[in-house]
Amino acid sequence: MTELIRENSVSGWVRGGNKERVLGRGVDWWTIGVWLALVVMGWVNLYAAVYDETQGAFELGLDYGKQLMWIGASMLVALLVMLLDDKYYHILAWPIYGLCLAAMLSTIVLGREINGAKAWLVLGPLSIQPTEFMKFAVSLALARHMSGYGFTLGRWRGLWRVGAIVGLPVAVMFMQHDVGSAVVYGSFMLMLYREGLNRWIYIVSGIVLGLFFGSFWITDTGLLMAILVGCAAGFGFIHRNWRAPLVWLASVALVSIVVWTGARFALDVGWSYYYVLLAVSCLAVAVAAIAARAARIGRFWVLVVLFFSSLAFVSASGVVFDSLDLHQQKRILDTLGVESDARGWGYNVNQSKIAIGSGGLLGKGFLEGTQTKFDFVPEQSTDFIFCTVGEEWGFAGSIAVLALFCVLIMRLVKMGERCQEPFARIYCYCVAGIFLVHVLINTGMTIGLVPVIGIPLPFFSYGGSSFLAFTLLLFVALRLDYGAGEEIER
Amino acid sequence: MERNSARYGTLLIFVVVVFAIIAARLFHIQIIDTSYKEASSNNALRHEVLYPPRGEVVDRNGEYIIRSRESYDLIITPLDAVPFDTLLLCRIVDVPLPRMRSQLEKAVRYSRRRPSVVVAGLSKETKLMLDELRIAGFNTVYRTVRSYPRKMAGNLLGYVNEVNAGDLARDGYYRSGDYIGRSGIEAAYEKYLRGEKGVKINLVDVHGIVQGSYQDGMYDTLPVAGKTLTASLDAELQAFAEELMRGKVGSVVAIEPSTGEILVMANGPTYDPDELIGRERNENYARMSSDRRRPLFNRAVMAQYPPGSTFKMVNGLIGLQEGVLRPENRYVCNHGYSAGGLTVGCHAHSSPLDLRHAIMTSCNAYFCYVLRNVMDEQEHGGAASRGGYAKWAEYVRSFGFGRKLESDFTAELNGNVPLPEYYEKVYRGRWNSLTVISLSIGQGELGTSPLQMANLAATIANRGHYYIPHVIKEIDGQPLESKFYEPHHTAVDPEHFEPIVEGMYMAAHEDGGTVKAMGMVPGLEICGKTGTSQNAHRDHSVFIGFAPKDDPKIAICVYVENAGFGSTAAVPVGSLLMEQYLTDTITRPALAEYVKSMQIQYPHYDGAN
Repeated sequence: MTELIRENSVSGWVRGGNKERVLGRGVDWWTIGVWLALVVMGWVNLYAAVYDETQGAFELGLDYGKQLMWIGASMLVALLVMLLDDKYYHILAWPIYGLCLAAMLSTIVLGREINGAKAWLVLGPLSIQPTEFMKFAVSLALARHMSGYGFTLGRWRGLWRVGAIVGLPVAVMFMQHDVGSAVVYGSFMLMLYREGLNRWIYIVSGIVLGLFFGSFWITDTGLLMAILVGCAAGFGFIHRNWRAPLVWLASVALVSIVVWTGARFALDVGWSYYYVLLAVSCLAVAVAAIAARAARIGRFWVLVVLFFSSLAFVSASGVVFDSLDLHQQKRILDTLGVESDARGWGYNVNQSKIAIGSGGLLGKGFLEGTQTKFDFVPEQSTDFIFCTVGEEWGFAGSIAVLALFCVLIMRLVKMGERCQEPFARIYCYCVAGIFLVHVLINTGMTIGLVPVIGIPLPFFSYGGSSFLAFTLLLFVALRLDYGAGEEIER
Repeated sequence: MERNSARYGTLLIFVVVVFAIIAARLFHIQIIDTSYKEASSNNALRHEVLYPPRGEVVDRNGEYIIRSRESYDLIITPLDAVPFDTLLLCRIVDVPLPRMRSQLEKAVRYSRRRPSVVVAGLSKETKLMLDELRIAGFNTVYRTVRSYPRKMAGNLLGYVNEVNAGDLARDGYYRSGDYIGRSGIEAAYEKYLRGEKGVKINLVDVHGIVQGSYQDGMYDTLPVAGKTLTASLDAELQAFAEELMRGKVGSVVAIEPSTGEILVMANGPTYDPDELIGRERNENYARMSSDRRRPLFNRAVMAQYPPGSTFKMVNGLIGLQEGVLRPENRYVCNHGYSAGGLTVGCHAHSSPLDLRHAIMTSCNAYFCYVLRNVMDEQEHGGAASRGGYAKWAEYVRSFGFGRKLESDFTAELNGNVPLPEYYEKVYRGRWNSLTVISLSIGQGELGTSPLQMANLAATIANRGHYYIPHVIKEIDGQPLESKFYEPHHTAVDPEHFEPIVEGMYMAAHEDGGTVKAMGMVPGLEICGKTGTSQNAHRDHSVFIGFAPKDDPKIAICVYVENAGFGSTAAVPVGSLLMEQYLTDTITRPALAEYVKSMQIQYPHYDGAN
């Protein structure tokens, strides 16, 4: 399938990139345009979330007023970033990394605890979250290290350093009880994939993550079906043989349905379809293994192991989790970085879904949201800011915001791809990954797709540190891309 | 490198797939699944606040002095309201139409979405009638309304009223329309009395009719009732004190010396706290705040009177502790004290006197000698006085003067004991013990509240220590914070108190004693001291005392403004109250009637006419 894509679409993208590169180019104005659009929408949306008709129409002391000042400051920083020569980002990568790490460490001693995470440094009137800037520092450091001479991802020595660069701040975050922010560091896997990290790591972790989330989302029966289809598809890919697995799947389905209905109507026993399917599929795997042995098909054991280990993983995690008391379950989710919920488990997400769902196609209109007022939705100006988008601007508005983020990430990937220097490319991919994970987790949690992890939606959530950090991340990427253009023109 | 750039395409597809999943989910929630819209439309979830009953207060004998009674508020959520029969509503709740109109407008101005109180304090019958009518946008909520069965001690019990913007900003617990304690016990124990609000989340349909509780009440919380407080107050005695203070301006504070519990805190004039409840509240409040005798001013803890002669004991004690005075020391009094061209006058009594007799007869000259000896003592820097005065002021503060006692009254004021710097500034460095000689007889710059003076009486009764005075003794049967149970020792050792106590005993029992004529009750062993405190108008009549002499049960301070000598008004009031408390009888009914009917003229309060 990858071959297929390279033939058709991808080469087109790459070729387009090459063409531009030859002609030389200036600043990527598309990205700046998208950024401006997000900033404006984000602020207007924040205003709506904070707005309270019992207060004045505009008060600088409220969250939206403070955010406006941060936006102004961020624009200045963006301008400075564009004026600074790009070689300084190479030079300053390690000092910035060290500085941010030191700032994070100092929060453990000097920091102020807000919402259970001791992650804030208070400097006079400013509260700064060094965690937000750490993402920028790690991106620079990774780019610096991995663009070094003789670095290859295949060697353990190089990988070990990459692990340390990412692992150090993550360890500090665990010490700060800020596990939510640590999840974001998984985003560097995107860049590592581009740089050629072994694909099996992704396949295995993809399966594990899929099963883990799957066990939260879908029924046991659905999950079992997914495992069966996955194994059959695996066989298809490995052996380039699609008929045998299809026949096998169809017979499993047929036999299980016949047994289930037969038991129900002929024997009048109400067996659960899940157990029927489980028994039939175990039998079918055994039959397939014997058949494969007879047909001298090699490496079939891989699929058998995959099937049974998936089953074991799902049932083990499910059984262990369900056997715990409710408060223990909550504690586990707390340590996993899933937010603790004072008013009851699931209440936040349920309220958030009601707010977004009530928006309909076109939303209720600016300042007309009812659910996001009245504190129905918690943290409505920070983590759950997307609820206001969904409620007041509806499906159309939500899709517009998502589309802007999608374009932004695509542009970042494209910028990375058209830079010849590995430093700029690696950096751009890091930034793309960070944005992707933030958008995915933040919007995903408001609609119940992923567990509740308290991380901000870039440019939308209230918070000066995160706004400034995202601006910095983005504009350094723009600067590096611009720099690469300059090189060619010279 | 080539192989890796191939991964670029896979990544792009991954990104697109991620966004597609989110978009699909949004499509499902926002477009396909209509249950969310139903759940949200027209405020599907109505958060109904369940108000807890406010805590009640009983006196030390278990008699209710603050009660809570059931009441209902009519609430409007303007957004949900439809045109309705305003006249009918006015008739049911008994509110004139213009007032109703203005209330409704006010509610709309506050918020279209948030509920506001339209009419407060409705009876259960009215609430049931309103429930039957079921006017869209209106509903009733349960509240408690205060009542004060004994109709007394307004300043002590305090009152409640609606929260203002400042309260809302200060404490996130309150919502517009909530009530908060404003003074006295109601304010000081607000946190215990208010309880905790509960919330009931109801599913409501488009017509505003409750369909049931949300998720079987999983997120509901029950209100927690406010705590019952036990006051140390003796309601009988308080009522008697208020009767005695009728027609007079002043204050009475009585304390149980062994615990610091306040038995009586009566002000004249007082008010009935029931007057600050319900619909007449605003009129009554306006009337009281414009009354020039200031019934809303809690004189017991806020007034700053000169203590007058009742302060002589403090000076005697300081002299004894400093070693410049011994009880046997006699000083001559020739109708006063003269030094350096300055004279402090005194009344006629035998001379010379020792300490006990000086207290008994309230000799001014004696304490002028004592104060000068304390201040001019060589080791404090001699006649330059600054050091001597500082030492003296430090002693005085250890008795609880010039600072708050930290009692459970939020309105308590410091009183005044000047710092040495004050005199340095006023007299530009040229001052000595003679300059401030009036301090010896409790005049000059000194300012003390009746609570501080009652505390002095309790301190002398305890021979050297006091417990912080407090009016609440138990919260739901539990003891208070520990500071109320710790003895506070003065800087004077206990053995020096005995001659002072004897002097106070003699004042009430021997001929020539200032208290005896109006204050002695056979068998009660009263110890007391009069004061005649000079001020801009006629002298205040002051008395502090305690009884019995050994193992005292009650210490008291009485101020009657502008009533003249201590023995004319303050002594009988104090003596009658101690008798009532200790023996539960009044052996001098004629005196009681006389005091009750005594009317003092207050031209400076009431104006020239």
